Amino acid sequence: MADEGGTWASIKENWRVVLLVLIVLASVFALFSPTLAPSTDTPGSTANGSAADTGVTNLQFGLELSGGTRIQAPLVGVHATGVDIPEGTERATIRQGVAAGLENASAQDVAVRFPGEYGDTTQQTTVVEVRTANVTAAQLDAALNEAGYEADNTYNRVSGITQQTAVTVLRQKVNEAGLSGGTVRVVGGDVIVVEVPNANQTAVRDLIESRGQVLIQAYHQNENGTYVRTTVMDSDDLRQVGNAQQIQGGQGAEVGVVVADDSAEDVQQRFVDTGLAQEGGTECSYEQSPNSTEPCILLVQDGQVLNSFAVDEGLAEPMRTGEWADDPQFRLTTGNLSTAQEVAINLRAGALPTELDLNQNSMLYVDPSQSDRFKTDSLIAGIAAVLAVSGVVFARYQRVEVAGPMIVTALSEVVILMGAAAAIGYPIDLSVIAGFVAAIGTGVDDLIIIADEVMSEGEVTSQRVFQSRFRKAFWVIGAAAATTIVALSPLAVLSLGQLRGFAIFTILGVLVGVLVTRPAYGDILRSLLTGKH
Amino acid sequence: MPGVDLPFGLPEVDYTEYSNRQLVAVPLAVLAVALLIVGGVWLTTGAPVDLGMEFTGGTEMRLQIDGENPQQRIQQAFTAEPAGVQPVAGSDVYIVSFGTGANSEQLETQAENAGFGVESIDSTSPSFGSEAQIQAIGGVAIAFAGMSVLVFAMFRTFVPSIAVVVSAFSDVVVPLALMNVLGIQLTLGSVAALLMIIGYSVDSDILLNNHVLRRQGSFYESAYRAMETGITMTLTSIAAMVVMTVVATAFGIGLLSSIGLILVFGLTTDLLNTYMLNMSLLRWWKFEGVNR
Repeated sequence: MADEGGTWASIKENWRVVLLVLIVLASVFALFSPTLAPSTDTPGSTANGSAADTGVTNLQFGLELSGGTRIQAPLVGVHATGVDIPEGTERATIRQGVAAGLENASAQDVAVRFPGEYGDTTQQTTVVEVRTANVTAAQLDAALNEAGYEADNTYNRVSGITQQTAVTVLRQKVNEAGLSGGTVRVVGGDVIVVEVPNANQTAVRDLIESRGQVLIQAYHQNENGTYVRTTVMDSDDLRQVGNAQQIQGGQGAEVGVVVADDSAEDVQQRFVDTGLAQEGGTECSYEQSPNSTEPCILLVQDGQVLNSFAVDEGLAEPMRTGEWADDPQFRLTTGNLSTAQEVAINLRAGALPTELDLNQNSMLYVDPSQSDRFKTDSLIAGIAAVLAVSGVVFARYQRVEVAGPMIVTALSEVVILMGAAAAIGYPIDLSVIAGFVAAIGTGVDDLIIIADEVMSEGEVTSQRVFQSRFRKAFWVIGAAAATTIVALSPLAVLSLGQLRGFAIFTILGVLVGVLVTRPAYGDILRSLLTGKH
Repeated sequence: MPGVDLPFGLPEVDYTEYSNRQLVAVPLAVLAVALLIVGGVWLTTGAPVDLGMEFTGGTEMRLQIDGENPQQRIQQAFTAEPAGVQPVAGSDVYIVSFGTGANSEQLETQAENAGFGVESIDSTSPSFGSEAQIQAIGGVAIAFAGMSVLVFAMFRTFVPSIAVVVSAFSDVVVPLALMNVLGIQLTLGSVAALLMIIGYSVDSDILLNNHVLRRQGSFYESAYRAMETGITMTLTSIAAMVVMTVVATAFGIGLLSSIGLILVFGLTTDLLNTYMLNMSLLRWWKFEGVNR
C-alpha cells in the first residue's frame, strides 16, 4: 500500500486473506498439535490403545481406513402408541390378551409401557411393543383391537425408548468386552450401527447377536410337587459385577456379584421361599436326575441353562436369619473361564430389550493391511485429481498469477476440511475423501467464475471495478453453493451409512468455500491484477 | 458478434446459424432415448437401473492370494458360485463377489481354509438392501425437488427456471441410461454421484441464466461469455473425475470410481444440455417469449 498507515491498512484491505491464513493455521494446529491428540480413554480399553490411532496427524480414521468390523441392523419388533387401556388393568393381562391375537408371539414377547419418564424421554401415551420377528404393525393393530385396546398408531419398528436402551446396552457390551474404540449409533431412524476397530466379524457378531439376558433361577418343586423355575434375580438386581476368574485350586470359573441394597431383601426372600435356603443347604443333581433333585440354582443365559449348582449351608443360614441382606454377595460358577467372562459382560451391560435383526443386516470387515492400502491408494487418487485440475486450469489461463493462487486456494480448502475433521474427531473414511475431492471440484469451479468475471471486459484498473465485478460473480457462486447443499442434504440424514461423510464434508466444503476461501481468492487476484502490492 | 474464443481452442460455434428447433432437437432426442431405456428397464426389472450388491444383497470379499492359478483356486474354494472375480491392479488381491444366497461367515471360513488372506468382507442382506433402495430413490427425488424449488425462487421467471430444471433432469436420466447400456450397477457411490450431479451440473446453467438475464449487452455477448467460463468449469471437473475414476478403478476402490464415473457421464451430458437445450430455450424466451 502506497499510502500512510502501512501494514495495518494493508491488513485491513486484505482481511479476507488474513482470515483464510488464520483459519488454515488453526486447521494445521488441529491436525498436528499433540495437545489435541484424540483421547484413548475408552472404558475397558487395554494396553493396545485406541484402534483408530493415527500416527503423525490427529486425524481419526474410520473403519475402511483403520480396519475392523461394522454391522448395521435394525432391532426386531413393532410397536403401538396411544393404546387405550382401561385403568387398573394388569400388565400380565394385557400381555396375554395381545399375544392371544398374534400367531407368532407369546406373552413374553409383548411389552407394555405406561406413560412416564424413561431416561431422558417422556412418554405421553401407553405403548405396547411386540419384540419378535414375523409380526407386522398391522397384525399388532388387529390383535390390540381384538383384545379391546384401541391404538392411535402402529409402527413397523421398535419404540424410541427401546432403541435407546438397546444402544446403551450395546455400548456397554462393546466396552465391557475390551473392544476398544467401538462405537454404537443409530442412523436413519431405526438402524443400529455397531462399529468395532480391529475386531473380526465373528467376535462382533457373537457379542451382539444374542440378547444376553442372564437370569439366576431357582429350580424347585411347587406346592403340587412339579418342578418349576422361579427367577430369583437378574442383572437389574445387581449393584456390582466382579471380574470372571478361574476358581483357585478347583475346576471352572466364577463371577462374584453384589446385590443392590433395595433388591437384597426381596432376593433373600425368594431364596427362602423357593427352598434354596433350606436348612443344611441343598444337594443339586439337576444334570443327572432333574426329576428328583433338591432345589438348585440355575444360571440361565438367553434361555439356555449354563450351569446348575447347590446352595451350601454357609449361604443358606444367613439368608434364613436375614443377615445376608446386610452384605448381599453371591458367586456364580460356570464350567470355564470364557463362559464366565460372557456372563460377566452380559450382567454388567444388562439384557438387550430385543434382538438385532441380523437377517436384515449389512456387514463390513476390513483387515488392517487392506485399510493401509486404501489409505495410500485413495490418497494417490485424490492427488491425481488435484493434478488433473491444476493441469486444466494452467492450460486454460496460461498465467501463473491466476492459476497458481487458484490451486493453492483450493488446496487450502482441503486443509481446512481436514483440520475440521481432526478437531471434531470425525473419522475419515473413503466417502469423506470423496467429499474432499468434491470440495476441490466445486471450489475450483467457483474460482474460475471469479477469475473470468474479474478479468472480463479488459484490464482491472481500479478497486471499484474489481469490487463490482467480484460482487456479480458472487451471486452465481452463492446460487451454485445453495443448490449443491440442497441436493446433498438428503444424504446427510438418510441411513445410507457410508455416504453420510461424503455429504457432510461436501456441504462443509461448499460453506467454507463460499464464506472464506473464495472471497480470499478474490482479494489475492485483485492485488495481483490491479498491480498494487 | 463479438469474437469470443472458447477455451482450449474449441471451435467457435455460431449459434445464429441454427434455429432453436434444430438446437433443441439433439438434447431432447438424447433425453427421449434415455427415458425409453430407463423406463423400459424399470418396467421389466422393477428398478430404473441394475442394482448393485448394496441394494439387492450379497457379499463382496477382497482376498489376497499367493501362488499359481488364483482364478482357478477361487472357483474351487467356495461352495457358492462367485458372481464375479476382479483383480486389483499391482497386487495379488482379488475382489470376489457372491449373490444373496451365500452366508458371509461361511465364506470367510472357506476362504481361510483355502489359504487366502481375507482383506475385507462387505455383506448386505436382501431386505436391508431393499430398504436402502427406497431411501436412495427417495433421496434423489427429494434432492431434485429441493433444487427445482430453489432455482425457481432464484430466477422467478418461468422459462429460464424450467430450462435449468429440465437440463438437470436430463443430466440425471442420461447417466442412468448409460449405466444400463454399459452394464454398470448402481452402488451407494453412484447414488452420491447422482445427487452431486443435481447440485453440480446446474452450476453452468445458473451461470448462463445469470449472464443472460442480469447483464447488459446483447444476448450473444452474454451467452458467449458464460459459455467460456462454464465450459472451463465443466471440463476441469470432468478432467478431475476421469483421473480419479481411472486411478480408483485400478486400485479397486469401488466407492471413488463409481462416484467419478457417474459424474463424468453427468457432466458430459450437462455440456450438451446447457449449451443446446438451455441456450435455445433462453434465446427463444429472450427474442420471442417475452413479447407475448
